[in-house]
Amino acid sequence: MLEIKNLHASVEGKEILRGINMTVNPGEVHAIMGPNGAGKSTLSNVLAGRDGYEVTQGEVIYKGENLLELEPEERAQRGVFLAFQYPVEIPGVSNIYLLKAALNAVRKYQGLDEVDAIDFLNLVRDRMKLVKMDEQFLHRNVNEGFSGGEKKRNEILQMAVLEPALAILDETDSGLDIDALRVVAEGVSALRAEDRSIVMITHYQRLLDHIVPDFVHVLSEGKIVKSGDKELAKELEKSGYSWVHDAPEGQTA
Amino acid sequence: MKQLTEITTPFGEVASAKTLPGSELGWLQQLRDKARAQFERHGLPAKKVEDWKYTSLWSLSQEGFSHDANAVSLDKTELAHVAALEDAYRFVIIDGRFSAELSELEDLEEGLSIKPLAEGLDNAQSMLGEQIDLEKPGLNAINTMLMQDGLVLQVQAGKTISKPVELLVISTAENQKLASHLRNLIQVEADAEVTLLEHYVSLADTEGFTNVVTEVKLDEKATLNHFKLQHESLAHYHIATLASKQAAGSNWHTNNISLGGKLARNDIHSQLLGEESHVTLDGLYLVTGDQHVDNHTRIDHAVPNTTSDEVYKGVLDGNSHAVFNGKVNVHKDAQKTDSSQSNKNLLLSRSCEIDTKPELEIYADDVKCAHGSTVGQIDEQHLFFLRARGLDETAARSLLTYAFAVDVLQRIKSAPMRQALSNVIEKRLPKGA
Ligand SMILES: Nc1ncnc2c1ncn2[C@@H]1O[C@H](COP(=O)(O)OP(=O)(O)OP(=O)(O)O)[C@@H](O)[C@H]1O
Ligand SMILES: [Mg+2]
Repeated sequence: MLEIKNLHASVEGKEILRGINMTVNPGEVHAIMGPNGAGKSTLSNVLAGRDGYEVTQGEVIYKGENLLELEPEERAQRGVFLAFQYPVEIPGVSNIYLLKAALNAVRKYQGLDEVDAIDFLNLVRDRMKLVKMDEQFLHRNVNEGFSGGEKKRNEILQMAVLEPALAILDETDSGLDIDALRVVAEGVSALRAEDRSIVMITHYQRLLDHIVPDFVHVLSEGKIVKSGDKELAKELEKSGYSWVHDAPEGQTA
Repeated sequence: MKQLTEITTPFGEVASAKTLPGSELGWLQQLRDKARAQFERHGLPAKKVEDWKYTSLWSLSQEGFSHDANAVSLDKTELAHVAALEDAYRFVIIDGRFSAELSELEDLEEGLSIKPLAEGLDNAQSMLGEQIDLEKPGLNAINTMLMQDGLVLQVQAGKTISKPVELLVISTAENQKLASHLRNLIQVEADAEVTLLEHYVSLADTEGFTNVVTEVKLDEKATLNHFKLQHESLAHYHIATLASKQAAGSNWHTNNISLGGKLARNDIHSQLLGEESHVTLDGLYLVTGDQHVDNHTRIDHAVPNTTSDEVYKGVLDGNSHAVFNGKVNVHKDAQKTDSSQSNKNLLLSRSCEIDTKPELEIYADDVKCAHGSTVGQIDEQHLFFLRARGLDETAARSLLTYAFAVDVLQRIKSAPMRQALSNVIEKRLPKGA
């Protein structure tokens, strides 16, 4: 599904990613943890194609294609989805309009007709139940005036409607209360599938109690300094990040 | 003293040559004479007049407009196509003349009176000219000396009119270079309410000049929901004054949309003269090519406890030029005034130009006044978000431009009106997705 090889990227001349290696196979769930400023969001932005990052070395292969050569929309149309750490508010664009435009963009790439109005509504209603969102949110502008937790749920709603092949969730659990965390986690779990891979960036073990990852990676100072299974996350919760820094290099997945 | 010798026009001669409505009314004749004297003294405003600094009437003064129109008619189906509202009373002015035949004014609701200017003048003495300043640099004097038609609308006390009224002013290709001087008088009596859309449109690339003054008088607790859609050809001049006087507890909601014209200028004046009166003064301008649009608004909070809320937005492309000047004047003793104003501009090209200026004059101390203006491009974060959801760059840009503009229409309470106006905006700015 996704193969990241020796990825180096910098922002404004400052190197942030310093040789990331990671392989994500279909159906796998990977968690990325690591201290603030380690480069986790940078990695997800580079994968999604945001401007302003310069890839200086390495490559990213997604479903056999060179991902870094594609425009952001081409990546999205091919099934790459990024749930943003800080979702933006878009005045004047209603949620339902966005969902439909996004779904049709994917369908167009897949050679399908625009979605039928009734099928679309049924799909959206169904997915809203999954994240326990009220229908009134459909007619509100994207994220405008949403609470922090509502914005995060809205990202998962978009994911649920678009059914991506590779979902990268950047701290979707941050800022959620305990109930909302469970709802979002259940939503994401429900979307777990054999042909879908999920990369979750998180600071907390809590999320991983709900969605048990196949792999846990620690990203620190632009490198994956340790990889393991779910036990690694528990270890981190107990002892913090300081001990992994001392780990020898090369223990990456 | 003749200040504007550099601009000369034949408007004065036209006034002598023409027979205008109400010539038998002494008070009106006096008013027209006064206006003429004012015009002879000052002519058209030149750019050295502060309020006209960014808008030149030089090319208008050189056009040589005609004041005589051939009678024209229009297919009813074509008319339905031009109108913005489906379910509305329709008052049609075509090439400067009211057309009873094209209008739809049968079975007016009780309490609603609609007349063309010539018929409404008899009872207009207490209203006509009362809301505007004849001496203000601009075209109020020309309009007063030459006004030949318009809508006179009155709503009786206590009546809420359910169907909206569309004043449809059409310029056709039959009469090129026609100047129309229109005067609309809108009076809503106590506790009454009505919705009015002023809609100015050209068929084909007609060259012309619309000079309109709309006067609004709102009695106690009256409500006027007012919309203006100016959508004339790119060869058209549109110069308008819209002025209201509001009594206690009255509400005026107005939304002024400028899409067309070579040159469009609006002077909008809200006078809050009674306590607890409120005005919402919104506007949207979309200009491209060589278009020029200038909105000058002024709100006078003359007494305590009045509120105003103003949002103007603009989208500029090509070599267009837009001007926004928003004055808010809080008079001495107008305590507890609550006023907010914003002007936001989206620039889509490098060669367009915006001059925006809020002007607050506050002579009371216990007031809340907020204002701000912004000029910017499409937000890169918004753009990336939409692209990361699969929309291609062109579609994402179009959608964001449309969204920026239509945002101001979301403040319109009536759903059919909001829809009708959004549709017009969408034709101009396709959402693109
Ligand atoms: N556009 C930018 N300009 C300058 N510095 C940047 C930019 N984007 C990221 N950085 C820097 O890169 C580093 C990594 O940031 P990033 O957002 O990837 O961290 P993170 O691991 O996601 O942290 P957090 O856990 O706090 O979300 C930080 O030091 C940040 O300041
Ligand atoms: Mg981050």
